[in-house]
Amino acid sequence: MSEPLLDVSGLGKRFGGFVALDGIDFAVQDGERVGLIGPNGSGKSTLVNCICGTLHNETGSVRFDGGNVDGLLAHQRTRLGLARTFQLPRPFPSMTVADNVRVPLLYTVNARGHGFLTAADITARCVDLLNIVGLAHKMDKWPRDLTQVEMRKLELARAMAAEPKLLIADEAMAGLSQVEVADIVSLLIRLNERGITIVLIEHIMRAVMSFSQRLVVLVSGKKIADGPPDVVIRDPEVERAYLGQ
Amino acid sequence: MRAWPFLAAAVIVAAIVFALARYLENDYVFYAGYVVLQFIVLATAWNILGGYTGYVNFGSAAFFALGAYTSVFFHKAYPLPIPVLMVIGGVVSGIVGLGMGYLTLRLRGAFFAIATLALAVVLQTLIINWTYVGGARGAYVIRPNEIPILGSYIQYLFLLMLVLAVLAVATARLIERSRLGYGFATIRDDELAAEACGVPTLGLKLIATTLSGAFMGMAGAPFPYYIGYIEPASTFGLAYAVNSIAMPMIGGTTTWIGPLIGAILLGLLQQIATVTISSAVNLLIVGMLLVDFVIIAPNGIVGLVKERRTASNVVVEPTVFVLLFVLNLSPMYFLVEQGTAAQSIGLVFWLVLAYVAHMRGRVLGRWWLIAFPLAGILFAFAPAITAIPVTTAIFASTILQIICVACGLLPMRRPAEASAR
Repeated sequence: MSEPLLDVSGLGKRFGGFVALDGIDFAVQDGERVGLIGPNGSGKSTLVNCICGTLHNETGSVRFDGGNVDGLLAHQRTRLGLARTFQLPRPFPSMTVADNVRVPLLYTVNARGHGFLTAADITARCVDLLNIVGLAHKMDKWPRDLTQVEMRKLELARAMAAEPKLLIADEAMAGLSQVEVADIVSLLIRLNERGITIVLIEHIMRAVMSFSQRLVVLVSGKKIADGPPDVVIRDPEVERAYLGQ
Repeated sequence: MRAWPFLAAAVIVAAIVFALARYLENDYVFYAGYVVLQFIVLATAWNILGGYTGYVNFGSAAFFALGAYTSVFFHKAYPLPIPVLMVIGGVVSGIVGLGMGYLTLRLRGAFFAIATLALAVVLQTLIINWTYVGGARGAYVIRPNEIPILGSYIQYLFLLMLVLAVLAVATARLIERSRLGYGFATIRDDELAAEACGVPTLGLKLIATTLSGAFMGMAGAPFPYYIGYIEPASTFGLAYAVNSIAMPMIGGTTTWIGPLIGAILLGLLQQIATVTISSAVNLLIVGMLLVDFVIIAPNGIVGLVKERRTASNVVVEPTVFVLLFVLNLSPMYFLVEQGTAAQSIGLVFWLVLAYVAHMRGRVLGRWWLIAFPLAGILFAFAPAITAIPVTTAIFASTILQIICVACGLLPMRRPAEASAR
């Protein structure tokens, strides 16, 4: 097997005396759809933050696309092709929807050095991306005019604009209705079919089960299961963590 | 408009301003104009950091003073032409800006503001104890009276500041519409999300602090030649820090034109106040207008024009309405004794009153509320035109405004009808 796209080994992070992540080993193959689940406070978001460079891990290392990214800042990792969405959407409120998508095009795609987009290219690309997520009709609106589900879609479009190899979607569906969840899941699967590896962090089991090819379970900062979804959810340890004893 | 046509237009406007100033054949116009231009540069420079990236700098005076003291140093050590001094002052202040940015990069909000204030205090202490540039006693810089071609030296200084102002405004506008401008705006909005989009926030903040500091230093470099004598207390004075924040705030912080409008408006008002009343009233006017704008138009004049509809929300609260009225009415009484020239300052406050009354009138469905402040304006100027005694005019005007406040506080008579409309 070739080297995985993302390879996290022995990752540890503590906040004061609290151990948030304890020796996490976690690999994602190119083109995979992985679900990452775990109860509240199990360290999922901390793991994402450590992978993306928002937080810095104290132990272990993160390798991405064949290179070690420890010590790289968040924007440098984004430029390498590691994009993320935030658990709570964080649009740029003073910019229109189109401009929100424009930022990663200006700062990531154009900063990579291979191929430079002109202003017209960028505008065309914004329209394309907003079309994919179904927001093109709102491109001149402000983020405050969007609904929750549209905000999540904007978040995804903005992450997509950076032309990532790996997209980490941190609870992209929390608080959405069933129809909206199905909408986002099918969107994520479409993105995956375009060749983007996706890690989905989610509480909604229906969404995770229908999306994931592999499931990873975190509990109290430790990985307790990793495997095919239908096997993992029957794992007694996972049942214990979710349902109690 | 693209960058070059804009620069050309700006140069033409500047040329007209200069021609007009020369046409008036009064050196005072140049003295007053210089200060206004200097504030345009300071406000624009402050806005590059404070408005575009959202990092509030309370230490503007320090960067300004650093430019001024760089000139004093070279004036003693190795005299150079002022344009060269401006470049050197810009470089020195830019480097200090870079250093400040580097040291305070991890601070946000109030903590960054406090750090800049601390920097100003540290630099002032340094200058006070540096006797070579005058120390606490200050330093004299004797400027020549005449200069070839232009004639009087103040015209030369005015012209230099005019060029710098054009440069600063053009730079600010260029930044706003460029990739850099997008990057700055993402920092203002959400730094974490900006990093996730590939924006190198640390690097961009350094660019902003450096540019902002450099322009402030350039504005300060000709100052010793303008004023003739500088000492730390006034060069590091509160007036510069407050004005460079107030002007963009009043004009509007997110665009290049905001600081320009704010600086021209406040700068002119202060010059008029200096001549007609006293130089001490300056900060009072700035302070009162700042209070007005923070309440009525948090996004400045530019914001007020862009989002007319949202501005009325604040006067829905009766207490805010009354307080705004009292605040803006109070300066009328001391302005009245200052003669007709001071009335132009009064007019600004009258216009704010008219706006407040108009907005309150819209909330209550009494559109005629605006008539009272408008009548007040007539009375304010009446003694100059007609033979009405000043005291009578004030008395009548006061009665009218009291009626206005009373009508603004009366509950709506037929709420059902008002809401149906």
